[in-house]
Amino acid sequence: MKKSLLLLSLIMCVLFAFGQSRKKAPGFNNKKQVAEQDKFLNKQFWLGFKAGVNLSQINPSKRYAVLSPTNYSAGLTDKAYHSFNKIGSQASIEVTFYYKGFSFSVQPTYIHSRCTYSNQFTWRNPENASEELILHYDQEEKIDYADLPFLVKYDITRTRLRPYVQVGAFYSWLINANKSVTVSGTDYASGGKNEFRNDPVIVGAKDLFSNYWGLVGGAGVNYNLGNVRLVLDITYRKGMSNLANVQNRYNNDRLSGIGEVQDDGTLNNIVFSAGCLFPMRYLSNSFKALDK
Amino acid sequence: MKIYIILALLIIAVACQKESDTVANKTFTRIYDNSQFNASYYPIDLHQTPDGGYLILGGRRLKDSNFSGIYLLKVDEFGVFVSDQEVVSDYVNPVGPLHEVNGKYYFFCMTSVGLQTQLVEMDVDGTITQNISIGGSYPAASAQDNGNFILLSYDHINRESVVSVVAPSGSISKSNSFTIGAGDAVEEPIINHFLRTGRQLPFQVGKTISGQYYFNGFYNYTLSLVFTDLNTNNPLGVVQGQQDDGGLSQVLSLEGSKFATARFNFGDNYFIPNASLSTNSITSSVDLGGNSLPELTANAPVKILPLKLGARDILLYASNTRSKQIALFGYDKTTGEFKGSHYLGFSNPYEVASLTYTSDGGLAVCGTTYVAGRFPRICLFKLAPEKLSSAFSK
Repeated sequence: MKKSLLLLSLIMCVLFAFGQSRKKAPGFNNKKQVAEQDKFLNKQFWLGFKAGVNLSQINPSKRYAVLSPTNYSAGLTDKAYHSFNKIGSQASIEVTFYYKGFSFSVQPTYIHSRCTYSNQFTWRNPENASEELILHYDQEEKIDYADLPFLVKYDITRTRLRPYVQVGAFYSWLINANKSVTVSGTDYASGGKNEFRNDPVIVGAKDLFSNYWGLVGGAGVNYNLGNVRLVLDITYRKGMSNLANVQNRYNNDRLSGIGEVQDDGTLNNIVFSAGCLFPMRYLSNSFKALDK
Repeated sequence: MKIYIILALLIIAVACQKESDTVANKTFTRIYDNSQFNASYYPIDLHQTPDGGYLILGGRRLKDSNFSGIYLLKVDEFGVFVSDQEVVSDYVNPVGPLHEVNGKYYFFCMTSVGLQTQLVEMDVDGTITQNISIGGSYPAASAQDNGNFILLSYDHINRESVVSVVAPSGSISKSNSFTIGAGDAVEEPIINHFLRTGRQLPFQVGKTISGQYYFNGFYNYTLSLVFTDLNTNNPLGVVQGQQDDGGLSQVLSLEGSKFATARFNFGDNYFIPNASLSTNSITSSVDLGGNSLPELTANAPVKILPLKLGARDILLYASNTRSKQIALFGYDKTTGEFKGSHYLGFSNPYEVASLTYTSDGGLAVCGTTYVAGRFPRICLFKLAPEKLSSAFSK
């Protein structure tokens, strides 16, 4: 899926770029025309799409557990979250208004995030070393959101290769989520060292998550190839509100039955995207927009 | 303009987040775990305390006694562990339910040596404040009656079921005995029940709405529901079972001769939410019929709780399924019509012990689960009123 999106993006960019660059517009060699061109180029609408991959991190703010220890510290069984270790994907449509170096951009995005965490439980008989069980829980969450980010970009240069920085905010609507829990362990009470790994329990978990909002910042480069603008950027999305659906935290019997419950926390992503933008305003019927 | 729209969305999002946090904890699932490999705990009853938390009476495995020891657990309103107490093994065989009288909590147990029945008084945190010896042996069930307690016990010397009215001070104001019949065969399942080496029998005692005492225990070789005025040792009425293979699993007095009840018969289970039981003649539980529930475990334990959901009166039946879940079945209190079901637990086995109506209109269900499929531990489910309304809304 990710590869297909990237490949599609590249092919579209190249096709549009070369398709639009064959015709050379006549004229534009006197000062008045150049001034008019500059004036025209100070304002532009761009429409395009981007796609790419992302890495995710859940930052827990308050921990919850089904297992409530009576003779050991609850912290011993806290989930250990693994940061930015699974590749997710996203695809966006970008609508940008450019004005004198600043761009105001709305980028509806479908983003698929993957996060993992694990925790471990141990039961021992201090009087009998052969009575010991260690259970290890590996959880993976796959969450799909529809994002609506609003970004302000600033082009650092006005050259063909234009680096830019961007900041903004987004709101994410939950589309779907599922969780898988794989229990593995070592049982010493079976007459030997019995290592086992159960099949994962995979459950729909949409009810356990909620919509959230966040802030986004990043940098990237635009490259004007013919009449098409190629975009490559990296952004950091910081979730600002709770990812968990607090009302439904214990509602999934399949998960709570095996001791799994959702922590409060925020979702952060590092997002890598590539894509292309097309100008919506043209200088002439030769579709020359900005290629200075 | 766009900026204002986005800002408005963000403000709404933040506002919604805070709103939802306040209703979050009406529902929870907790399992109270102990890291000891050979530890074993099971709950008997729970009681919601004025602070919103729960006091749980439980049993535990003892190394130095064949009987179960006493385990007391206090959790807060969110089900978070607060404290626990493993009562010394001098006292064994805890019997529920937990009774509250004037801010004190009581339960019955017996001494491990001498097997003498004890009334234990606790404070709201589960700290034992007093043990009162009330004589007799093998307490089996108890109930509360106008500030006093009704106690069913087994007299192993005279082989009798004994029903007594006990004050919180320990004094017995009324008592009578009922023979279980001669021979060791009839006593064997009773002793196995107390040692927990056999099936847990549905001993119960109480008082009907019309003021008649009753007990579900052994009488004349049979596990029977016996009605008595405690003035003579001849019952007023008996609903007979089939030795220990059949009888009533649970009974709740509704009005006059109307009862919500459940029965078992050679492994099968039947719910009768609107039964008419004769309180002054001898009848058989087999004749009561009822809704058969093949999904329940053989001779399943049953708990019945009257529940008010809005304007509706529901009888909630809780029991154990063959798929190792706790099943809740709702019936209309007036008509006995089925109103819905809800299941608790998954993956690990779950078994019901007790349930109670909570101060927020929800339900707390206490049971045993087997963590990692092997370690018996106490679990607590708290269901929000909204969940109950939707589950039993047919």
